[in-house]
Amino acid sequence: MAEAEEAGGANPVNEPLDLVRLSLNEVVFVKLRGDRELKGRLHAYDSHCNLVLGEVEETVYVVDEEEDNDEDNVRTVKKQSEMLFVRGDSVVLISPQQ
Amino acid sequence: MLFFSFFKTLVNHEVTVELKNDISIRGTLKSVDQYLNIKLDDITVVDELKYPHLSSVKNVFIRGSVVRYVHLPAAAVDTPLLEDATRREASQASAKAKQG
Amino acid sequence: MSAPAAASNGAADARDPSGFLSEIIGAPVTVKLNSGVVYKGELQSVDGYMNIALEQTKEYVDGKMRRNYGDAFVRGNNG
Repeated sequence: MAEAEEAGGANPVNEPLDLVRLSLNEVVFVKLRGDRELKGRLHAYDSHCNLVLGEVEETVYVVDEEEDNDEDNVRTVKKQSEMLFVRGDSVVLISPQQ
Repeated sequence: MLFFSFFKTLVNHEVTVELKNDISIRGTLKSVDQYLNIKLDDITVVDELKYPHLSSVKNVFIRGSVVRYVHLPAAAVDTPLLEDATRREASQASAKAKQG
Repeated sequence: MSAPAAASNGAADARDPSGFLSEIIGAPVTVKLNSGVVYKGELQSVDGYMNIALEQTKEYVDGKMRRNYGDAFVRGNNG
């Protein structure tokens, strides 16, 4: 717990990662590199944005290049995972789900 | 340090490592280091038809930096403990940032 | 992230980049990532990695609004 040296305890959001800390055991939306998104319950994070999420749904946006016409169809692929470690270097954005 | 310690608790469990090049490798977690490099034993490659070149390999060392995800057995993860450890690490990190 | 002691209060000196950012906390800002995605919102906080917290954030892809976030943490590196 944040005690003693933390005058910041009174003002819980004074650095960006505090937003992530306040989302522990809450459902978060995570945007990743490579057109991927995750929704899941946040159980752990560190300063690299390594994460552990539970009851995760991953959405991958796949571009199908069609040879005969010039249209690119974007397909969404959904995958489930009961518990997932995410390496921080893929993370772009984390948002608490309201 | 948090995730290094966390992965050490998962040694000898079955995990699936998804790499940034989309290959997924399932196997028994044998060891992990501070960079989150990973050693897996008794591996199978998910979607073997697409990636046949690993079919004769039994164990692998995976450089941490090429990992996208590690799928974990939920039963092996104590989530309240993990959240408490995260809060402890976060307060240490922000104390360090303030004096640094 | 300690600025050289050019001014009396290093961290709040708007003449260095992180000093500038800490002076505009609370202001509406536009954040553009290397990928081209743009976030518009109210700047809540910034740290030494240029991680950013935004409030009432709108996400724009190719100039089109895609999503709304109440709060958003944007990872500093990876632009």
